[in-house]
Amino acid sequence: MSKKDSSYGSDRFEYLQTLVTEFQDTDSEEAKEQVLANLANFAYDPKNILYLRELQVTDLFLDMLTEENENFVEFGMGGLCNLSMDPQCRDLILQIGGISLITNCLSSQREETVLSAVTTLMNLITPSSRADITDPAILQCMMRFSLSESPRLRNLAAIFLQDCCTEEQVARAEEQMQGQHQTAVGIPLPKD
Amino acid sequence: MAAPNNNKPDCWRVPEVYKHHEQQKVCISRPKYREGRKAKSVKVYTINLESQYVMIQGVPAIGVMAELIQLCALYGAVEEYRPLDEYPAEEFTEVYLVKFQKLTSARAAKRQMDEKSFYGGVLHVCYVPEYETVEDTRLKLQDRRRYIMRATRNIAKEREHREETKKEFLHSGTAATLETVTTAHDESLDDQPKESFNSSNSCFPLLPLPPQEYHYQGLKNQHRTAPTEDKMGTLHNAYTDTEQPRQSPSWSQASSDQYRSKECKLIPTRAPAVRFVPRTTQLEIRKRKIDEDEEQSLMDGTEKNQPFIGPKLPEPLKLDMEDESLNTTVNLIRNTMRQVESVPELKPVTKKIKPRRRI
Repeated sequence: MSKKDSSYGSDRFEYLQTLVTEFQDTDSEEAKEQVLANLANFAYDPKNILYLRELQVTDLFLDMLTEENENFVEFGMGGLCNLSMDPQCRDLILQIGGISLITNCLSSQREETVLSAVTTLMNLITPSSRADITDPAILQCMMRFSLSESPRLRNLAAIFLQDCCTEEQVARAEEQMQGQHQTAVGIPLPKD
Repeated sequence: MAAPNNNKPDCWRVPEVYKHHEQQKVCISRPKYREGRKAKSVKVYTINLESQYVMIQGVPAIGVMAELIQLCALYGAVEEYRPLDEYPAEEFTEVYLVKFQKLTSARAAKRQMDEKSFYGGVLHVCYVPEYETVEDTRLKLQDRRRYIMRATRNIAKEREHREETKKEFLHSGTAATLETVTTAHDESLDDQPKESFNSSNSCFPLLPLPPQEYHYQGLKNQHRTAPTEDKMGTLHNAYTDTEQPRQSPSWSQASSDQYRSKECKLIPTRAPAVRFVPRTTQLEIRKRKIDEDEEQSLMDGTEKNQPFIGPKLPEPLKLDMEDESLNTTVNLIRNTMRQVESVPELKPVTKKIKPRRRI
């Protein structure tokens, strides 16, 4: 079994490597989307997380967040949502400075992208990153989300506000919202 | 993203139809090496999309709710269910909402039931996380985080362990490796839950162990203490519960684990617990033994007992396969053969005309 396991492991590593290579080499947008979705789904399984980390797929996903193609953004954000559950990947994302890239996704037109972003932000909270993630601007955004028509977004935002911030923080953000300190985080740009 | 607001109170609101309820187009342009076993669409699954709530569409409207829920219960305890009458359904079909107790059950149910035929209809099963309460969502996320944490830690440990054993193997030969294997074995025994041991033990006759090799048992056990989920975090056995081992001990998985641990405790020498012998070999060995016995009985059985008159027919063999299940099988086969033999050969064959069913 141990033998089988390790050979399975190296097979899997090679397969994932092939995927990453194809993603980098191909010019076809469609193939890129498929491979990206594959990689993001592989990130769901803890067995692959270690390999994906070695292949620097974390960076690959983060790169996708600034793409024009909404599918790229959605799949990359989904992959990050899956990866960030792992503490080591979480630290990696924080090191690369992923918070601001992910925060930008809060204003995506796509619900799935926004949901992944909220969950990822919650996953990224550590004692040292807490201050950045519970920035008043993000808090205000979560408060708007908590009034959303979508139950999934509403629930996630409620959890963010209840579990990740102090009551004082929420109260302060509320005050700011009433006053002139409104921020635009999480408000999608109008479609053209 | 947000659905249009109709200012009706909540209970009168028609359930929303979300994009993730739709079956997406299957992707057909994948190169061979990226093709899975099943045709799938291009979609990314995250914990946000999964849920213990599933919606089942395409249930024929012929009053089969009980059957549907029974089918669902095969994959785990169903906590709640109700028809979603207001949900737009295809003609002559119904839509149901099912809440499983555990996400893993929902996952198994979705995997097994989606696109399967059911009383002449084809089911479409999808997660409906929008029915979750805040608490449901919170627990779901916590469970997932905890699971990943444990799993990645275990994988890292396993890897380390493997490298260690490899090193030691290279350094000092087999003796050292065996030692490490046994120590790992000890640790894993301690990790196993013990409280449900008696209950499941007394309830069910334990099945004999599946054939296995001893060498990797330590590693396997170690692996087993952690996740029982498979590659995509799915439990094939939906009853098994990795999160709360106390609740309703799932006997198939747990008891075999416990059986194993018990067995290990009983054998302090740690001799190979079960040696794998293929069934065919077992049967051959038995056959040979029986042949030998037969010869013996023909030779010396006669001298002992009665006066010997003429050649004696060998008694119908009293077969003992030394295994209850094998004995039962033998008896069943023998009875069937007897029945077949006793049927008179010539029997006027009357053809029964099958009444044609009308639909």
